[in-house]
Amino acid sequence: MGDNQTINHFPNHYELTRKDLLVKNIKRYRKDLEREGNPLAERGEGPGKYLHLDFIPVTFVLPADYNMFVEEYRKSPQSTWIMKPCGKSQGAGIFLINKLSKLKKWSREARNPFNPNLTKESYVISRYIDNPLLIGGKKFDLRLYVLITSFRPLKAYLFKLGFCRFCTVKYDTSIQELDNMYVHLTNVSVQKHGEEYNSLHGGKLSVQNLRLYLESTRGKAVTEKLFANISWCIVHSLKAVAPVMANDRHCFECYGYDIIIDNKLKPWLIEVNASPSLTSTTVNDRILKYKLIDNIVSLVLPSDGVPDVRWNKCPSQEAMGNFELLIDEELAYQDERENPTKYKSSHGKWK
Amino acid sequence: MEKEKLAAEQRASGGRAKKAKNSCQEVRDEEEQVTTAVASDRAQQLQGMAEKLSLEIQGMSNYKQLYSEIQRIVASSAVKKDDFKNTLLEALKREGLETELRNTVFHWMRSQRLDKPKEQANVYGADLSYLKKAQMQWERRIQKSLNSMCNELNIPLARLRSAADRDELAEKWNELSTCDFDLGQYRPLFAPKDFLEVLFSLRDPTFKKQPNELNWEFSHIQIKVKTLAQLRDAYEELSRGEPLLGVNGNVASSLGHCPNLEAERIHLGEKVLKANQAPVAQEFLKRGCPRALRGRLWSLVLGSVVRDADADYYDELKAMVLQYDLMVDKLIIKDVQLTASNDDQYFVFEDLLYKTMLSFSRDSEVLPSVTRDKCAGGQVIHAVLQGKPATLENTLVFPPSGVIPFHGFTMYATPFCYLYDDPCAIYFTFRAFYLRYWFRLHTVSSHEQGIVAVCLCFERLLQCHEPELWAHFRNLHIPPVKVVFKWLMRGFSGHLPPEQLLYLWDLVLAYDSLEIVALLAATILSFRKDNLMQVNTVHNVEAVLADLSSIKVMPLLQLSLLRD
Ligand SMILES: Nc1ncnc2c1ncn2[C@@H]1O[C@H](COP(=O)(O)OP(=O)(O)OP(=O)(O)O)[C@@H](O)[C@H]1O
Repeated sequence: MGDNQTINHFPNHYELTRKDLLVKNIKRYRKDLEREGNPLAERGEGPGKYLHLDFIPVTFVLPADYNMFVEEYRKSPQSTWIMKPCGKSQGAGIFLINKLSKLKKWSREARNPFNPNLTKESYVISRYIDNPLLIGGKKFDLRLYVLITSFRPLKAYLFKLGFCRFCTVKYDTSIQELDNMYVHLTNVSVQKHGEEYNSLHGGKLSVQNLRLYLESTRGKAVTEKLFANISWCIVHSLKAVAPVMANDRHCFECYGYDIIIDNKLKPWLIEVNASPSLTSTTVNDRILKYKLIDNIVSLVLPSDGVPDVRWNKCPSQEAMGNFELLIDEELAYQDERENPTKYKSSHGKWK
Repeated sequence: MEKEKLAAEQRASGGRAKKAKNSCQEVRDEEEQVTTAVASDRAQQLQGMAEKLSLEIQGMSNYKQLYSEIQRIVASSAVKKDDFKNTLLEALKREGLETELRNTVFHWMRSQRLDKPKEQANVYGADLSYLKKAQMQWERRIQKSLNSMCNELNIPLARLRSAADRDELAEKWNELSTCDFDLGQYRPLFAPKDFLEVLFSLRDPTFKKQPNELNWEFSHIQIKVKTLAQLRDAYEELSRGEPLLGVNGNVASSLGHCPNLEAERIHLGEKVLKANQAPVAQEFLKRGCPRALRGRLWSLVLGSVVRDADADYYDELKAMVLQYDLMVDKLIIKDVQLTASNDDQYFVFEDLLYKTMLSFSRDSEVLPSVTRDKCAGGQVIHAVLQGKPATLENTLVFPPSGVIPFHGFTMYATPFCYLYDDPCAIYFTFRAFYLRYWFRLHTVSSHEQGIVAVCLCFERLLQCHEPELWAHFRNLHIPPVKVVFKWLMRGFSGHLPPEQLLYLWDLVLAYDSLEIVALLAATILSFRKDNLMQVNTVHNVEAVLADLSSIKVMPLLQLSLLRD
């Protein structure tokens, strides 16, 4: 590629966006930090629990990690798990299980000689977050847009106009509803087929309104902590994959982050999507996605509008539009060198 | 410094005195009048006031609880027989009951202020009875269309609910969206545009129209409304250019230990809540309210803090919904569906709103307030339960609240869903707000807070301060009120984003007036003047005004109120 060309993907983005690889990278990242003796990798009570790095639900890759899964399963046999095919999206092939026997039955059927395709497919199985925060009795997840212009040094921006995607049906954890995907999956592609789907709002509430609601009903401090934790988990998911990413200077990429908030206001990273949907389901959705694309273009280009690999990728405040800086390691490093005292106390926090 | 600030708020709440009628000052006066019976020339008058007050307090909703609390204290060992007065006052203070009493007097004063047919509004000494007649006619029209809808659909106004129906409703009370109501045939009884037609046809019978004059102006209606100069006096905190939350929370604070204005407002607001004094809370709202404190402050100002008795009352309302099947229920559900359920800011609260609005229709405590208004009509319908003899016990006011819903009625309640999690808290603050302000926006009356006055105020502001725009509308034969009426009638609910709407309603509460709604409408037109001047049809004018998502209420209002 020429110096004046740019492209909207990193070559091996799947390290972040494939469900099984993301898990693998995060597990390795935690181990590395732990080995370094980094305080971030501090463990809490109970085996395998990290105090700060526990931002994805416990997850195993099947069939590879089957034995590890069974061991974990036995520790709390009453909990529910969610099975997802690694290579699919939009809620396809997802189901919930609450008994080991159901998993065994599934694996028997999957090995069925008449259905050889299924055996090739690998799955992830994650602990199901069964205490999601409900608003109006309904489950939702957050869709946030994160723009990366470089992995090493890491430069990441968060789009302020994300939204919540609501289920159309009241949340219900009873066994009878375990197979009702309108209760459990928040994907628009699933919900769209529900009877209750409303095409005027599409089940989408803006993150600003979520924030207004939480601050008004729960208080400012806890709301701020929640949003700080969300940024935290995005930044660390990126740091986890940064070492393995092919960091080509021609590249930038916008990812769709799916996050579930539980009823203790802890955010959980569910999945990262490459090429998040840019089609729109409602009028407001169209406005939002228009702004998203417009802001991405203005942020990834130097001020003269011509791509240039030699540009330092430090956009001006105006060029960022609705994006806010999550982290810029280069700027942070410079700043640290210039004002060493300022960083003394918080040292290591972002390392 | 910080003490001073709080003291200033308190002073402002108590002492803005003399110049304008300030309810807070009145409260202070009244309290003194009640507690210190002095032998002066005013003794007689005071005595009368004190008697009236103590009589009327007995009719207030928190009286019983207050009374039993005081009884408990009187009987406690803290109160000594030999020094009864002092020890009692001491104990009342210690237990926070003194504040409770003060707040009660404050709420009583406020209700007095609005209930009095306002002599002030009618300064011209004009005969405004034609407005009342118009309202009565309008009420009759609504009742007629209600009856004809019943006939058309062959359903009664009221009946007992069947057991099966009742069980289903009880079971699904928290998720009424899952009930299968067959509403295809129902339509709202009227919409804002129908009501606007009624307003446009108002005529002062003594007024002689000039031959070349258009019909649609409210100007000939002789209600006194404030000019911009008078609004500047009334909204002093805004017009002085003081830093406001909602303009920029990041400006420096004048308190040393607060990093910025937002932190300062939170800090002060928490103190105000702790002091628990309604008039101080009202004063506090004038400079913009922090999100996390708003729900509690509003309840305090409105006296709608939920007590045990209120929670019980709320349950009774639900029981009434389950017992009676009223025709308005369908209209209510239809309205929630047509408004909140389709709105991307409120759809998540759909189920909460069904409960709230259905309960409201059964609330007979609403009835006296909406019918007592001497300037309005106040006729009610009586319905006999279907299949029962027409005796007194089978007859009910229809609906028990006396309020017949129309298209968009739900929007008076939706913003409260952002403030509280508890349905009961939503209910009582919504009800208090509605009874103090919103019901006047769908009633024709000569009241200074009524929709006619609000429209008139808007019209005058535009005419005086945007003459060019005014002339432009005139040339196009578009009445300016027509393009803003839906904002006015809903107090902007559903038109402004929730956050901005809440700032606006802060000001309604803080200054205890709807004038700010008229001012905001005029300001938005003025703000979009350049675009408006370029379009020539109603349709295009409406397009220019359709999207208010970029409007920032506080800066805009402050800008228009700042003295040049
Ligand atoms: N661990 C979990 N706990 C609770 N809910 C979950 C969990 N994992 C997934 N879900 C729910 O299932 C939905 C689909 O999950 P996920 O996004 O991982 O699958 P997908 O098919 O790749 O979807 P897409 O790619 O369209 O976002 C999520 O939006 C979420 O609502």
